[in-house]
Amino acid sequence: MPTGPSILLVDDEERFRQNLKKMLTAHGLTVTAVGSGDQALAELAKQPYDVMLLDMRMPGLSGLETLAILKKDYPETEVIVLTGHASVDAAAEIIRLGGFEFLLKPCPLEEIIAKIESAYERKLARQERPG
Amino acid sequence: MTDSTPHLPGQESWPGLWHHLAVYGSSWLVAMLAIILGMFVSLLLGLVAALAAGLSFLTIHRLLRQKAVADQEKHLVDEQLLQSQKLAALGKLSAGLAHEINNPLAIIRQEAEWLLFLCRQSEPLDMTEAISGLRQILKQVDRSREITTNLLNFARRQQPIVQAVNLNRLVGDMVRLVAKETEQRRITVVTQLAPDLPSINSDAPLLRQVILNLLNNAMQAIDQDGTITISTQPTEPEAILIQIHDTGCGISKELLPRIFDPFFTTKPQGKGTGLGLSICHGIIERLGGTITVASEVGKGSTFTVKLPITLTPKEI
Repeated sequence: MPTGPSILLVDDEERFRQNLKKMLTAHGLTVTAVGSGDQALAELAKQPYDVMLLDMRMPGLSGLETLAILKKDYPETEVIVLTGHASVDAAAEIIRLGGFEFLLKPCPLEEIIAKIESAYERKLARQERPG
Repeated sequence: MTDSTPHLPGQESWPGLWHHLAVYGSSWLVAMLAIILGMFVSLLLGLVAALAAGLSFLTIHRLLRQKAVADQEKHLVDEQLLQSQKLAALGKLSAGLAHEINNPLAIIRQEAEWLLFLCRQSEPLDMTEAISGLRQILKQVDRSREITTNLLNFARRQQPIVQAVNLNRLVGDMVRLVAKETEQRRITVVTQLAPDLPSINSDAPLLRQVILNLLNNAMQAIDQDGTITISTQPTEPEAILIQIHDTGCGISKELLPRIFDPFFTTKPQGKGTGLGLSICHGIIERLGGTITVASEVGKGSTFTVKLPITLTPKEI
């Protein structure tokens, strides 16, 4: 990868958000962290992001609601959903709405980084072959 | 042309035979024939009656069997429905539990990974950062323990221990228990306790838990600066009312029906387990009472507990 992906992290659990941002930054990634779906959409209106790490259960706009809006307005951003309670239904809904992948909390940092890289590669591949 | 040929006995035509019998007065033969005919008709009627009785019996038997099968099928469907409802409730509870436990686990994992990362660096370990990480691990363990403890309390099916309870005194005790926190949050607690409130037969420790949970809920809804009004009054028939009103954030109409669901919370992550109100609901039901809520966003909420003066324990 010539330059790393820009990452938007969305999670209402403050400590989790701070920790993940700190750890991904320590691995050379560029991360912006916000605490809600509304803040995420406001951030996306300011600048594009390559990959979004999105919490599922949040007050206000839920992860799925945010994902639905995002895929309509910013389809180029790849979304990895982070959730504390994965179910087959939720996974199917995430994929149906255009999410790239979902990860069950707690998950190892290496797994998150690997998914971010895969998502970014898919985004680059789609840009090279539009449509 | 008339038939003039004389008929030999045994060769008569039927009208001829009747005529012969009538003419020659063979009354015994008539009687015999009548008896035989009567017996034949009786036998026939008996057979018809027996057949009808048999058919009726078979029909009733078949109807009874069909009813039994239908009853069995209905029972099966009822059981399946109950099972589905139980599974749905269990699924909901499990999803909530998984979410509530996995979030602190995720933070514990992060802190440990970060400490490991710091320890592997060549420069000396930043002790301030390491201590902060370890404290966070302890905090998240406590958070998880609180969830499991609440869950155990929620699931426990202990029979209420019935005794005379002075509700006004019990409410006063609980208000004093939270006085320090209400003061810190600049929350005024107003008590309006009916002086003529009769003592009730109920379970004091369980009621203390309910009042404390409702007071905590009211404090969290207000956060800072506001008023909690707690009142008691007798009501018909043979019951008492406890009302806890807060001037907090209120609950929207859409969320109100879910307010007593296990793990349902409107509070930020880590601020509530979503079990407090469902525990209150379970306890009040067990004490033979009801708990309801009225709320308006931005104005506050009122929780109303109605309890019978004499407790008839309910097995739940």
